[in-house]
Amino acid sequence: MPLIALDGLTKRYSASVTALDGLTLELEPGIIGLVGANGAGKSTMLKLLLGLLEPTAGSVKVLDMDVKTHGPRIREFVGYMPEHDCLPPESSATDFVGHMAQMSGLPRTAARERTAEVLRHVGLYEERYRAIGGYSTGMKQRVKLAQALVHDPRLLLLDEPTNGLDPAGRDEMLDLIRRTGTEFGIAVILASHLLGEIERVCTYLVAIDNGRLLRAAALGTFTEHTGVLAVEVEEGRQQLAGALARGGFEVVEDGRLVLVALQGEATYDAVRDAVVDLGLPLVRIEQRRHSLEDLFRDDPSSPQAPAA
Amino acid sequence: MTASNAPLRASGPGGSIYDLGYQGYSGPRLGRAYAIRALFAHTLRSAYGIGRGGRAKIIPIGLAALPLLIAVIGVGIAALAKQAGELGSIVEESSPIRYAAFSGLISTFVILFCAAQGPELLGRDQRYGVLPLYFSRALARVDYSLAKVAGMVVALLILIVLPYVVLFVGRVFVADSPVDGLSAELPSVPPLIAQSLLTAGVLGSLAMVVSAHTPRRAYATVGIIAALLIPSIVVAVLHEEAFGRVGDFLVLLSPTDVLDGLNAALFDTQAGSPVVVDLDLPGYAYLAAAIVMTILFVGLTVRRFLRISA
Repeated sequence: MPLIALDGLTKRYSASVTALDGLTLELEPGIIGLVGANGAGKSTMLKLLLGLLEPTAGSVKVLDMDVKTHGPRIREFVGYMPEHDCLPPESSATDFVGHMAQMSGLPRTAARERTAEVLRHVGLYEERYRAIGGYSTGMKQRVKLAQALVHDPRLLLLDEPTNGLDPAGRDEMLDLIRRTGTEFGIAVILASHLLGEIERVCTYLVAIDNGRLLRAAALGTFTEHTGVLAVEVEEGRQQLAGALARGGFEVVEDGRLVLVALQGEATYDAVRDAVVDLGLPLVRIEQRRHSLEDLFRDDPSSPQAPAA
Repeated sequence: MTASNAPLRASGPGGSIYDLGYQGYSGPRLGRAYAIRALFAHTLRSAYGIGRGGRAKIIPIGLAALPLLIAVIGVGIAALAKQAGELGSIVEESSPIRYAAFSGLISTFVILFCAAQGPELLGRDQRYGVLPLYFSRALARVDYSLAKVAGMVVALLILIVLPYVVLFVGRVFVADSPVDGLSAELPSVPPLIAQSLLTAGVLGSLAMVVSAHTPRRAYATVGIIAALLIPSIVVAVLHEEAFGRVGDFLVLLSPTDVLDGLNAALFDTQAGSPVVVDLDLPGYAYLAAAIVMTILFVGLTVRRFLRISA
């Protein structure tokens, strides 16, 4: 049973604004990064998973239940941390999180116990009895995370959880999220436009762009080796490229580098021989890795696919 | 789900020693029906500022205490009149604090309670963006709106009924014997219940439908007062200008006049508004108008929360 199954999921806000366009995807539990530029459709996707929005077309299944027919039942087991402010300033963290626990169906006493526990988990102590209005941004983000965790969800949806945090606060928040996902076995979907954050905590990645699925795969495959060999020489770049091209290799020049399409072990030998023959000062030969940023370049395939 | 947490925690890498760690929850999950009841109870308590700061209690509890005070004075007048014998019965007859007139006496407090607490109960969640948190939990949008309206209506019902109870119990014990008192006062109970329910229904739902449509507290407060006063004034002006009976029928669109007419019909007394008196509609017309208004206001409140973006 997949954690989440989307089938042809489409959301149009108006005739001209399409937020999500025909997304079909199955996700297994883990810490899943949802990346895309601002406006790519990340928040829309989270809201569709929660049933906060109705899809224009297609279907959404969460925990093997259809969001359209089993909304409240699914949401008993889902926690949501929205991107924007969502805390009433005059409530205390304890009162507010406790109330939200009851709204998820926890009995009153259990709600109180869970609230104390989860506020300690996110690192709020004595200040939890004070009004939220007086909290720092970092503390407010912790309360937002606490209300999403208080009912011990099986799935946690986080929308830009590090928004507005300073670098130290960012590290702490990401660490909390990583621990929540790995140590407590809660599946997490983390929407962010910051690739660095995703790389630090996620094991699986879903990239969307302009409402379309760009790629969904384990994080490792995004950064794995490519079929491209990068050769850096101090001079004679054009001669080298010319020699290799005559030898039947696909070659492009990219700044200080000569990129060669890898065709097995023989390619290494050919490059070595060409460099020796031309007597060029060689700096390095290395197999290129993908970087996450490549996903969002205008043409994601071009920089690394010589002579394609 | 929760059961799987334990082994995962045990094998979790690099846990800190001082951190007792996060415990899963394996207790009961009472689901949607419980969440609705809890939200209703929370709304009812918040309507009187319970569970919030001291300042939040001043207005609602003050507004609820003043009608009680009037009821106590009413009982006091009845008790004094009893002791004054012959003269006293004249005083008693002319006392303004009686069942039929009571809703008129406390209407100001009821309206102020609506105008103050309605926006408090629905505006905050909109203003501070809390709605997405509710709608991403075990309840649906319909549940949220109905629980909130019900909380407000019951809060209002308490405000209206408590002074009646004081008045009723007081008058029973002021009578020659409690048995005499009961037999004299009991016939008033059904109209009191009907009047309280319908007043709370119409005014509570009206306060909520206005509050549902703006996050701004001041707008909602002004809107509620305007929705209660303006129709009444328009009807009165049209009546003065002698637009005839057609104009007078607009009285059925004015919440305060409908409740006035209903009160007059229930207690078989004269209405306060000259339009209602002159029009002399049968009581069930006002009853029907009150029920239709309540249903309409509740429906519009629900519709608002079905559509609001969260």
